Amino acid sequence: MSYVFDPSNWEWLITGNNFRYILEGFLINLEIAVIAMVFSLIVGLVLALLRLVRNPVVAFVAGLWVDLFRNLPLIFLILYMALALPNSWRDAWEENVPGWAPEAYQSGFVFAALVALVLYNSAVIAEIMRAGILSLPRGQSEAALALGLSYRQSMQQVILPQGLRRMVPATVSQLITLNKDTTLVSIIAITEVMRRGRIVTSSNFFTDVQAPVLHVFLFIGLLFVVVNYSLSRLSRRLEAGQQERSGTKMEAIGGLEDQLQTAEAR
Amino acid sequence: MPGLALISFLQDHWDAYVSGFSVTVRLVLISFAIAMAVGTLIAALRVAPSPGLNRLGGIYVETFRNVPLLVLLFISFAGLRRAGVDINAWTAGSASLGLYTGAYVAEALRSGVFSVGKGQIEASLSLGMSYRKTLRHIVLPQAFRTVISPLGSLMIAMIKNSAIIGVSLLALGDLLKEARIVVSNTFQTDEAFFWAAVGYLLLTGLATLLVRGLERRYAIRR
Amino acid sequence: MQGKSWRWILAVLLAAFALGAAACGDDDDEEPAGGGGGGEETAEQFDPSTTLGKIQERGEITIGVKYDVPPFGFQNPQTDEVEGFDVDLGRAVAEKLGVEPKFIEAISDNRIPFLQDGTADLILSTMTINAERAQEIEFSEPYYIATGRILTKTDSPIKGLKDLAGRKVCTALGSTYEETIREQAPKADLRLVDSYSECLELIQNGAVDAVSTDDVILTGMIIQDDTLHMVGDELTTEPYGAGIKKGETQMVEFVNGVLEEMKQDGRWQEIYDEWVGQYVDEKQEPPTMTLQEAIETTS
Repeated sequence: MSYVFDPSNWEWLITGNNFRYILEGFLINLEIAVIAMVFSLIVGLVLALLRLVRNPVVAFVAGLWVDLFRNLPLIFLILYMALALPNSWRDAWEENVPGWAPEAYQSGFVFAALVALVLYNSAVIAEIMRAGILSLPRGQSEAALALGLSYRQSMQQVILPQGLRRMVPATVSQLITLNKDTTLVSIIAITEVMRRGRIVTSSNFFTDVQAPVLHVFLFIGLLFVVVNYSLSRLSRRLEAGQQERSGTKMEAIGGLEDQLQTAEAR
Repeated sequence: MPGLALISFLQDHWDAYVSGFSVTVRLVLISFAIAMAVGTLIAALRVAPSPGLNRLGGIYVETFRNVPLLVLLFISFAGLRRAGVDINAWTAGSASLGLYTGAYVAEALRSGVFSVGKGQIEASLSLGMSYRKTLRHIVLPQAFRTVISPLGSLMIAMIKNSAIIGVSLLALGDLLKEARIVVSNTFQTDEAFFWAAVGYLLLTGLATLLVRGLERRYAIRR
Repeated sequence: MQGKSWRWILAVLLAAFALGAAACGDDDDEEPAGGGGGGEETAEQFDPSTTLGKIQERGEITIGVKYDVPPFGFQNPQTDEVEGFDVDLGRAVAEKLGVEPKFIEAISDNRIPFLQDGTADLILSTMTINAERAQEIEFSEPYYIATGRILTKTDSPIKGLKDLAGRKVCTALGSTYEETIREQAPKADLRLVDSYSECLELIQNGAVDAVSTDDVILTGMIIQDDTLHMVGDELTTEPYGAGIKKGETQMVEFVNGVLEEMKQDGRWQEIYDEWVGQYVDEKQEPPTMTLQEAIETTS
């Protein structure tokens, strides 16, 4: 126990570049998560709409796609994309990344990582959106149709805006999961926080101060807990706000990794 | 025909895939057992009438839900070993996955308990049953039935997360790891990964079927 | 009187400053961007339709190196720069071509795919020449001869291959040692990881009993931790070669040319002494093995 709290084991934090180096890495993880989320929202919306389309074949195929990517391990997708993505795409990435972007982004693997993250996450988002839309009381769509709005109009003006607003807390929740998932891209040699943590622990070559594995990763764990906890509180506040405003809310079982249920969808 | 080539590929590397598949299954089952045990304990803390215990449970949940599994693996394996604890890869891997998922199990059970309704808890306490007995005989059995579906989802999440253990420095030979070894020997990425995908979908599919079956038999729809 | 002398001094100072600035400016114009070998030889210009020409047009050559294997390729977290034997070789090739070297991390698993899909133009990443790999990519002539050894803690009872039975041995996924250990010590419990830095971590914390790979990589580990040592006979001979995409014969010739020059003019010896010689008590001559011999030796 004293090993954990022994101050000499924490000296590495204030030595040299270590603190900044790791923090920079952590920022890279957060950035990747945000970028992936933005694209996942777009693709997820498309997928969700495809599933709600009248044409049963399209809806079915979209559903199959979503189920496929929700059931495969994310690390599987990341590794596969890293190995299988055509070089032309990766070249295009490396050519277009500006020079001022951090070293970690220069690698074409970031593109592979983002593709994998978006493929996976958009499927989850699609489910969240579908749940959000389905959680609306039936009365809404019935009233819209009764008022003479077409299917498209009722979707565009009544259902979607309300449904999408309901999914905000769940989306913030999913961002927490995404943050954690970004650590997986360390496997394909992107120098984000995990890689940097390992480099710091093995850098005894350069400094006299030992950076023990346990302490470095406790620190990294702390970074994640702080950021994610704040996000989860935000999500809960948003959810409570929704409940106040609309009287109903999307029944989400708090925090379950991307598995969501609503009273309707069960 | 490409289909035949795929099948002969599987035959060539059958041993590797079977070995990886069984490691994954074992890992998931052990971790799930740990998650259920720990999750039940933490859920009990969370619904206890003592605010101190609630907070304790809360700290556990918030810590393990917000920290990435990969970080946990490093801490539990490399970190602990450096601290002098002789923990092996299997223990560290299943413990990490179990403790991690346990936090989610605790939350799912907590929701389940709340779905049982305060009235029942109050009634049984007023009848003279101890808190422990109330939990054991009244609350938990009903809560479990409500949470079959969320627990099933967690099982699926666990199957997917198990792949992380293989790629970490724990170096366990799970399904994904074996597929990568096959790729390093044959350079046939698509075929090797195809069969790994089939393996994982098989497991998640089985879990889904199991959950649906149990739901039909036991679940309470509220 | 005072006013005049002040202005005099000012004028002299200004003139001196102007002259100095002009002189410095001229020097800057003459020095090439890479510093170092300031403009004695200009690089041979290649036809822009060739791979080398395209690299020259781009102005940089992408070289895959290890980021965690001192002393051949490793990233210094204090400076974020990559350094090492392989890195210095890479710089020499880039300089000869008149371009900037851009280093990326190439772990054992993705060295060959990187060449095949063009992510890297050149791989200098402690890669052993063997017939299997030679089918997928081109190799330069051997630039270093490493030998396969076993690394253990100094107090370990393991003294050689035979002692590996039933013990946990670590090596990298996709490296030649996977097969070597399976063949030569079939009863060993092989643990495969992504990179040797993980193997080092595992042997330091006791999770594995031995690590097996090229002696130079093992040396890099010993440099970091002197409670480790190498045991046993040479398992294999591991000639390192630079990796180049299949079919790029012009580039192979070019790289071989640079290597040959370095072996002749003493630069190879310099790099060796700096990165290996000062840690290991062995002297080494530049390798004279040919590529053909290398492939035969490793088969």
